Amino acid sequence: MPALSGFLWLISYWLIGEVVIHFTALPISSGVIGMLLLCATLAVRGRVPNNIAAAAQPLIALLAMLIMPGVVGVFFIIGELAGQWTAILIALLLGTLLSVVTTLWLLKRLIGQPNVR
Amino acid sequence: MSADTPLLSLLTTTPLFAVGLTLAAYLLGSALFQRLRRPSWLPAILIAALLLAGALALIGLPYTDYQQGAKWLTVLLGPATVALGMPLYQQLPRIVELWRPLAICLPIAATLAACYSLAIAWLLGSSDTILASIAAKSVTAPIAIGITEQLGGTTALLLGALLVTGVITIPCVSLAARWLHIDDERLIGFALGLNGHAIGTVRAFEISPTAGAFASLGMSLTGIFTAVLLPLAWRLVGMGG
Repeated sequence: MPALSGFLWLISYWLIGEVVIHFTALPISSGVIGMLLLCATLAVRGRVPNNIAAAAQPLIALLAMLIMPGVVGVFFIIGELAGQWTAILIALLLGTLLSVVTTLWLLKRLIGQPNVR
Repeated sequence: MSADTPLLSLLTTTPLFAVGLTLAAYLLGSALFQRLRRPSWLPAILIAALLLAGALALIGLPYTDYQQGAKWLTVLLGPATVALGMPLYQQLPRIVELWRPLAICLPIAATLAACYSLAIAWLLGSSDTILASIAAKSVTAPIAIGITEQLGGTTALLLGALLVTGVITIPCVSLAARWLHIDDERLIGFALGLNGHAIGTVRAFEISPTAGAFASLGMSLTGIFTAVLLPLAWRLVGMGG
């Protein structure tokens, strides 16, 4: 049963996230609040309890499958934006390439060669 | 005999059909991905999504009906996002080591991730609605949907932009990393999560747990940062609302 009680913990943190959003009107998802709270709790306790690990590990492995139903929706709106797609695609492809290069370049400049200190 | 429609509606009275279809497409997509020797330009999730879309079109199940049933799976996204707190905690010492450069990099990189695409789309003459829909393209879906609604964009288009961005981030990162001579898994992971949200993070976990943890960190920080600042910036520029 450790996986089940771990799962209950994950759900509880998600629900706490919902409560926090309700009272603070933060524009963040309850999952992210729950994630940060879980991380903080584990940091305070200083270790990962077995039941949390038993529930979290398989769920993380399934993340890709869980976003699939949303991802599939894309193929069903293609018709709606005829004529706009080229501009959108160019913007996304070029924009993403530029921002990836910027991110990596910035990180490299800021972190440099940490092993050579 | 026109037994087709009744049979399909019989099967779809419970969510099990949609859930089973998703599981099958996912397993088949992963198997194909292994067979193709894990090409970085064609992530397993895209293969699986294509298979699933093909199957839906083939059996004539409307997407909204499928989505209704698949909600039983997507509801797990909440606890799964919470679960990312565990690898985040396990990598905390490495993250603390790098907190200063990451704190400087994040606002600049997350802002540019939105601005580059917005500028290009604007130059190419896209409408305000389209700009509002793609602005949150590098933010993880549950947060991005909220942002897009605030800006007055279309959720369906946003999800499309998210897919394209996530998928394209993976080859972009391996290309840029090779070009800049970066092989530090921490940097690669952070860039994957910051630019490619959940899809990039999934890819980072395939590389290593360290890359995965830095990707979850990049993903969540980008989400929080963008969620707070983008709607404000939008109002300042005087768009939508």
